[in-house]
Amino acid sequence: MLTFIIRRLLIVVPMLFVISFLVYLGLELTPGDAVSHMIDPEVASRISAEQLSEMREALGLNKSFLERYYIWIVNVLQGDFGHSLAGGVPISDIVFDRLPATLELSFIAIVFSTIFGCLLGVFSALKKGSLTDNSLSVVGMLGISIPEFFFGLVALLIFALNLQWLPIGGRLLPGYETIWDRLPHMVLPGFVLALMMTAGVMRYSRSAMLDSLSRDFIKTARAKGLPEWRINFIHGFRVALTPVIVLIGFRLPTLIGGSVIIEQVFQWPGIGNEFIAAVRGQDYPLVMMIALFSVFAVLMASLIIDVLTALVDPRVRLD
Amino acid sequence: MMSKSALDKKFDRIRSLEEAGKLKPLTGSRALRKMLNNRLALIGLIVFLVILLASIFAPLLTAHNPMKINLRDMLQAPSFEHILGTDKTGRDVFARILYGGRISILVGLGSALIGAFIGVGIGCFAGYKGGWIDVAALRLSEIFMAFPQIILVLLLVSIVGQSLINLMLIFVLTGWGAMYRLTRARVLSLREEEYVQALQSFGLSTWLICYKHILPNALGPIAVNITLTTAMFILAEAGLSFLGLGVPPSIPTWGNILIVAQDLRVLQNNWWLWLPVGMVISLFVMAVNFIGDGLRDSADPTLQG
Repeated sequence: MLTFIIRRLLIVVPMLFVISFLVYLGLELTPGDAVSHMIDPEVASRISAEQLSEMREALGLNKSFLERYYIWIVNVLQGDFGHSLAGGVPISDIVFDRLPATLELSFIAIVFSTIFGCLLGVFSALKKGSLTDNSLSVVGMLGISIPEFFFGLVALLIFALNLQWLPIGGRLLPGYETIWDRLPHMVLPGFVLALMMTAGVMRYSRSAMLDSLSRDFIKTARAKGLPEWRINFIHGFRVALTPVIVLIGFRLPTLIGGSVIIEQVFQWPGIGNEFIAAVRGQDYPLVMMIALFSVFAVLMASLIIDVLTALVDPRVRLD
Repeated sequence: MMSKSALDKKFDRIRSLEEAGKLKPLTGSRALRKMLNNRLALIGLIVFLVILLASIFAPLLTAHNPMKINLRDMLQAPSFEHILGTDKTGRDVFARILYGGRISILVGLGSALIGAFIGVGIGCFAGYKGGWIDVAALRLSEIFMAFPQIILVLLLVSIVGQSLINLMLIFVLTGWGAMYRLTRARVLSLREEEYVQALQSFGLSTWLICYKHILPNALGPIAVNITLTTAMFILAEAGLSFLGLGVPPSIPTWGNILIVAQDLRVLQNNWWLWLPVGMVISLFVMAVNFIGDGLRDSADPTLQG
């Protein structure tokens, strides 16, 4: 098991370096450098060219590209992600400030969609061709076809604007900070995200379960005279779980990105909202760092998925 | 005497039809026939074609210009003159949805097809030949696939700037990898088939074996994937444009029409500005997905019937 993880890490770590290099290259190619961002253009026009070049030297900007990349990556590894162009706030502060809000939403969506998606999908597969199965299929198809922000807007209109059961957006009102004040804010974005994800998981686990039920080991189990529930759940579902884990695992990191649009609809102060603001404001260092974070999350998730699949599926061997 | 089962009855019916000489000989491809027998896929195909044709022939269906601002007709509810009302600057919403469909479908379907062309082109050859092309393309696709899709798209938008062509380029760039890997995986297993060995022993050129003899056998899953990618890109365009970061707002697209719904007053009071276009997007994407499901069922030999 350990050698398996180490071997996977040997692929993941170089990959991270290559991507960080590309990201840094992108940062270099975008207009402006640290000095021009730090100083107001109006002020800069009054400063002599000598002073400007002195400042560049002091910041190490006249070194070669590779040297600067080296300094940058060492800083990043030490937890210094640089500063946002808007207001010069350290990027690490922004990320750790916004991440909990996003993780909160993702957590709700992942837990809800995994439980209900798997349950409905397996139920659908066991009752293949029935009325329930067909209607669930149509609902699942609707779920993957409606743009999530459109669904969010309709939910917002019905529950927040017309019925006024829930707040229209945001996460906290100043002065109200207990969980009971926060819960109503979470309900709409959380459930919109969760329902959209449930549709995908349901469709996927249905076909995975059908596939698993058509295999020979199911016939063997039946021939052994095992009770039907044991065949379905112990033998069938275990193998069907593999592709489902892969799907959910890949959703995990994309939820940092996947909730981007929903965060916007509900003015949720998460990392996605910050990312959109950074893209709009051309705050390149912030854009790049958030992108790099999400890549890190994807690669780590894929590592975890590999280990989990190996644990769940008896057919996968680790070497 | 045992009563006849449903299957027996079905066979009896077929036999009687056959004896009466009413059974038509089976023509055309089996996959196509299966696809047309799938009711949902057929409905999907019809909806897809209706929306596509309505967009292409937009000038025949509406006399209004989607860009023409008319400040005397601001925010009018649907009427005989304006079937779906007008927006804040008096532009006809129905015309905007029709003309917007042109761009949205172009971006979705166009990027998916170009991405498929590149991914399949490289994947087929690299999968068969192996070597440095394969290694390079594989690593490159891994890099693109390490990003969550929307983050990568937004990252590229922030670097190259916002335009219709750029958006399509970005979609192609983010979409070719999956196509490449799919094709490569199919070709890797197909190249071990005996018929390929036979072709090799005849001394056929690599190009002929790849693109004429192996590729057609890999087309089923590729076609399914093109439909899924199209659906994904149409949703992505709508989402990005809704954020104001997709197609420049001056060009009508389905996503750009929906931007107004960010205004809560519009959301509550002017349903015709956002509800119809949202439904058109959903309907179109659903149609594409049904076609994809139908294609998958007809292309997959393990699902006979």
